[in-house]
Formats: sequence, C-alpha cells, structure tokens
Amino acid sequence: MINTVILSWVTFIYLAAFVLYFIRIIRNEALWGRLATITVSLGFAAQTVALILRWVESYHMGIGHVPLSNFYESLIFFSWTIVLLYLVFEWRIKNKSLGTFVVPVAFIAMAFASLSPNINNRIQPLIPALQSNWLTSHVMTCFMGYAAFAMAFGLGCMYIIKSLDRKSSSRSGSFLGLLPDLDTIDELIYQSIALGFIFLSLGIITGSVWAHYAWGSYWSWDPKETWSLITWLVYAALLHARLVRGWRGKRIALMSLAGFACVLFTYLGVNYLPGLHTYLKT
Amino acid sequence: MWSFFASVKLAIALLIIISCASILGTIIPQQEAAQTLSGRLSPGMMSFLGKLQLFDIFHSIWFVSLLVLLSVNLVVCSLNRLPASWKRVHAVFVPDDPDIFKDLPANQVILAEGTREGETARIENLLKKGFKKVVRKDTDQASFLAGEKGKYSSFGVYLIHASVLVILAGVIIGFFLGFNAYVEIAEGESANAVQIRGGKGLKKLDFTVRCDRFTIDYYEDGTPKLYQSDISFLRNDALLYKTPVIVNHPATFEGIWFYQAHYGRAPSGEAVIMLRKGREKAQVMNVRVGKEFDLPGKEGKATVIRVEANLMRMGPAVKINIAAASGNIPFWVFQNIEQIEEENPGLMDHVPMFNPGLFAPYVFSLAMVHTKYFTGLQVAKDPGVPVVVAGSLLLVVGFMTVFFYAHRRIWIRIDREGTHTRISITGKTNKDPVGFHREISRLIQEIQEAEEKRS
Repeated sequence: MINTVILSWVTFIYLAAFVLYFIRIIRNEALWGRLATITVSLGFAAQTVALILRWVESYHMGIGHVPLSNFYESLIFFSWTIVLLYLVFEWRIKNKSLGTFVVPVAFIAMAFASLSPNINNRIQPLIPALQSNWLTSHVMTCFMGYAAFAMAFGLGCMYIIKSLDRKSSSRSGSFLGLLPDLDTIDELIYQSIALGFIFLSLGIITGSVWAHYAWGSYWSWDPKETWSLITWLVYAALLHARLVRGWRGKRIALMSLAGFACVLFTYLGVNYLPGLHTYLKT
Repeated sequence: MWSFFASVKLAIALLIIISCASILGTIIPQQEAAQTLSGRLSPGMMSFLGKLQLFDIFHSIWFVSLLVLLSVNLVVCSLNRLPASWKRVHAVFVPDDPDIFKDLPANQVILAEGTREGETARIENLLKKGFKKVVRKDTDQASFLAGEKGKYSSFGVYLIHASVLVILAGVIIGFFLGFNAYVEIAEGESANAVQIRGGKGLKKLDFTVRCDRFTIDYYEDGTPKLYQSDISFLRNDALLYKTPVIVNHPATFEGIWFYQAHYGRAPSGEAVIMLRKGREKAQVMNVRVGKEFDLPGKEGKATVIRVEANLMRMGPAVKINIAAASGNIPFWVFQNIEQIEEENPGLMDHVPMFNPGLFAPYVFSLAMVHTKYFTGLQVAKDPGVPVVVAGSLLLVVGFMTVFFYAHRRIWIRIDREGTHTRISITGKTNKDPVGFHREISRLIQEIQEAEEKRS
C-alpha cells in the first residue's frame, strides 16, 4: 500500500526536520531554520497526501471509512495534528526555536507507528462499535486537544531550559538567546493550554454523546473516560492557578509537563487497563 | 466559613484531590471486577477496603462529598466575585483620564504634521474599524479618543461555572429518575422485565419486548460487520412498534432506550437423543421440551423437561423424566458422558440422577442440543440527558467568551507639542497581553503609514 510507504518516509523527513531545527539552534544561522521549515512543511504535505490516499484506498476496498479507526491511524493523525499546529504557531510567533522541542514528538509518534512490530498498519474494516458519525468529530477534537497540549509541553521544556540559565540567555547569539523571552513563552504556554482545554472539553462532550448512542450511558467511568476527566481536572487546576492565583513561569511550565503526562496516559497508558475503549489495543 | 469556600486555593486542592481519587478508581478493580482481588488479599483487608468504598469509588459517599464540596466552592466563589465583575463592566468609561498617559514608551507616541482636528477625525475612523464602542471628548488642551470591546467577556467564567453545575444537576436527575438495566431475549421470545445493573433486582416494564430475529454479518476477512436485533414492542398482545436495534443505533420506546449490547446462543429446547434398549440397535430421536413420547417397549412415557447448553460446567445435557408404573424417574443425560466419567470416577454411583441408564434396560445418550441466538440488550432511561446536553452547550459558549474575547480598552490623546500634533496611545486588557500588544502595534503602524503617505 502506497500510503504506508509514504508515511514511513514522512517519519524520516520529520527526523531530518528535527535535526535541521537543532543545527539552527546550535549554529544560529538563518539558513538552517529556513531549511527546517521547508522540510517539515514538505513532510506535512506528504503526510496529508498519504492520509487522503489511505482514505480513498479504503473506499476501493469496499470498506470506506475515515483513517481514524485503529492505533496505527491514530498515531499518524496525532503526529499530523502536532505538525499542523506547530506550523501555525511558527507562522504566528515568527520564531523557529519551538521546532526543536515539538517536531521530535511528531517524529516519535510516526516512528512508533511505522516501526513497532506490534502495530498493524493495514486498513481494517470498521467494527460495529465504530460505525458512527461521531467517530470523526470525537477523534478529531481529542487529537487537536492532545496536539495543543503537546505544544504546551514543548514550550514548557523550552521555558525550563531557558530559566535554568538566566545569565547566558542575555548573551545574544547563544543557544538560549534564540528562544523567545520568558514572558512570551509563558503566555504561549497559557494559550496552547487554553486551546487544548477547549478541544479536550469538546472531545469529552462528543465522546459522551457517542457513548450515549453506543453504550447506553453518556458516562460509565471507563478508564479512558476517567483519565480524560483527570487530564481535564489537572488543566482546570492549572488554568485557575494562573488566571486567579496569578501563577506564572516555572510552576506553570512544570504543570504543563505533568498535564502532558496525563494526556499520554489517557492516550496510551489506559490500554493496559481493562475497559470499553479497547479498539486501540495493538 | 464563607471565606473558606470562597477560596480558589480550595478549588485547586479539590480538583487535584478528585483527580487522585479518580486515578485510584482506574487502578483498583471496581465493582464486579473487585472479586479478582479476593484471591490475593486477606478477607480482613478486603472488608477493610470495602468499608472505605474503594471498590466503588465513583459512587462512594466520600467521592460524591468531594463533588458536592466542589459545587459549593464553585457557587460561593462565583457569588463572591460577581459584584466586582458587575461593577467593572458597568464602570463609566472615562476617555480623558490623565494618569493613563503618564510615562508612555517612546514608540507609543507619534508626532504628526496635521492639525489636531484633522488627526483626531482620521484616527477616530481607524479606531472604529477595530472597536465596537468609540467615545470622543474634546477639551481646550487636547482631544481624547477611547475604544472599548469585549467588556462582557469577563462574564464567560460564570457561564462555565454555571454549566458545570447544570451538568451535575443532570447527573443527579439521571441518578434518581433513571435506570440502567439489561435483558437477554432469545429469538422468538419476549420479556416484560429487565435486570437492573449491579444486582439491584428486576424492573417491570409496562409493555412487552419481543426479539423477532438476531443477525450477525461479517466482512470478507471475518471481522464482524453488523449485530442487529429486530425487536417488537407489544402491549396486551397488540403490536405497537417494530424496529431494528443496531450497535450505535438504539431504539427508543416510551422514553426507554434499547441498545444492542451483546449476544449469544442458548438452547432452543430441541435436542437429538439416542435410545438403546439392552443390546438392540440404538434409535435416534428428535425431541423437544415438554413433548411426551412412548418408550419403544411401552414400559412408560418419557418427557424431556429441560435442555441445557452447559450444565454445571459439564457441557450440554437434557433432563428426562420417565413416567412408569413404579412412578416418576427423572435423570440427566450428558453429551460428554464418557469424559465426565473419566474425570469423576464413581460419580454415577454417588449421583444416580446423572446415570443415563437409570431406567434399565434403557440407556440414553445425547447427540446434540439445538441452539438459537439470544440478544443482549442494554435498557436505559435517563431523563437527565437533556440537562447534561444543555450544560455542555453552555460550557462551549462559556469557553468561547472566556478564551476568544478579551475586554480590551484603548485610549488616545491628541494634543499640540511645539509645532507638531502629538498622538499618545495606550491600552489595557484583562487577558492575552501578547495579542493586545500586537493590536496596538498594528494601530500605531496604521497611523504612521497614513502619516508617511501624506508627507
């Protein structure tokens, strides 16, 4: 299948983009940054084409459905949303240093999907439980949320690295000097988390509606539901700490890392717990 | 007390505590699954954990208490802050506050060539493009322009808090007025009561549900494609409604929802048995529950009284009663009798009921038990659902106002500075300072560009 071949190439394109972003930070030459952006954009375009091809191919097989139905497809879509959101960020804040922290997350998701022997990359027919119009909206909103939180995670790492050494950050031209100033990173962390929070809420709401039609109850304390609520509560605590208690900087950065750990557990960890969301098991 | 509940620290603490309790709820096996622990933990430990309600955390008194506490906290916090927000929104918007123009950075002050009046009119038009409300005030020394937008965005947070309460109210309504049950109905059979989940007894329906047919369909590769039950709703034997129930497409009848949950095969009541008298040749017979037949030698009448697919984990079996001159002689006939004898030597001597040759000289054996599909339906009623939906919609609207709108205010003073007209610009926002800074920079740029074009 041509789409999986393209997707395994995209994995390496993202790796190359990460390396270029890294070189740019070390050598501080604009050329590398431009190359990195071109590379990651190319990878994104190729990934988009592959996703569309996969979609079309499923219709040729007579089992047409949106490519969001198993673990392989979810990993591909996860990395796609991360790169999409990253490109929007890079374009908006006109700073390429976030690429060093976020593009590797997209690369790891792709590498996991393409290289892990336990993950089936074939197009599979939709089992009855997934034959719902809510599949697309639920998965899309959830993964947009995950991607925004991944962005906050990258920014949180950036903040902590930069704040570890305040002195050298003032030296222009050094690695840390290229990063946006701490206040800007802090504000961007907040904005990504706010965006992620909205999408996570939409993901939980669409999921509840779906569960109401599929399982006969909009909430059944299934581990994935519970963990999505835990993630929601952690980010809700973070938002209150920042908006009302005035927490800024390092504490928020650390909380954004903890929040992303919850996101990863909601996405991957719960597969090791028994529950209803077993479609993603490899 | 009021100040305790009015604290956001309490809210944050509660959010974290509820998260931790929920984590416990996903690690400790809950409800029926808790039985798996009984092998590994001592009975004392089990009953201790049970008393702490750790096997049903999400319905435990202490978890619900945490939710109640959070709700009270939410209400008190909101009530505590509402008057201040109200005042802020309804405050008189003063365009010529002198303090606000003190110590402006150089890039927020522009020197222009036009007249004070001309510049003011031009900037007023620019400002009106980005701000809904623009006020102007002229004094002897200067003209003042001020723009304001999104002043109601600070109420979004109350919308969010209210929506959380609405959702919780919906949950409570569902808890008291709804139920969650299941029922298994074999093809062709009916039910008028359902089993409440959690072993909480039967619930009688005021109508009858009949399963007409159960269908499974597969894809070419063997993956299930469709589970469908065709069901009918009847009252006093009159058919009221007939509908398919498919996974993801439940049926509703009189406010009660029916979902395709599982399926299985159950004995249809028909079986094939073999009957041998002494050393004669065995005779094959199709039998069904309740149907009487004569023994070949007329020694009595036999009736199959039960057909089981798996009796006491020993496989398919039928119970036969023989009415003979000596009275009734009931006994079981297992399909896997040889294997059962091998595994339990002497069983037939201890339990004569398990001896297929109890009515000598006849020996019965079971060739097969016919089965048919039964469907497992989830049956639920939840009048809280519309309330939860309303709360969710309110939540989304609340997020939009909180995160996408900010209360932005901008002040501009136009006065004379020597031979030039001096334009001073400043502003305030309640959130997203970066975005606001960008907006102000853009405004300054627009003013300057127009200035350059003219000169």
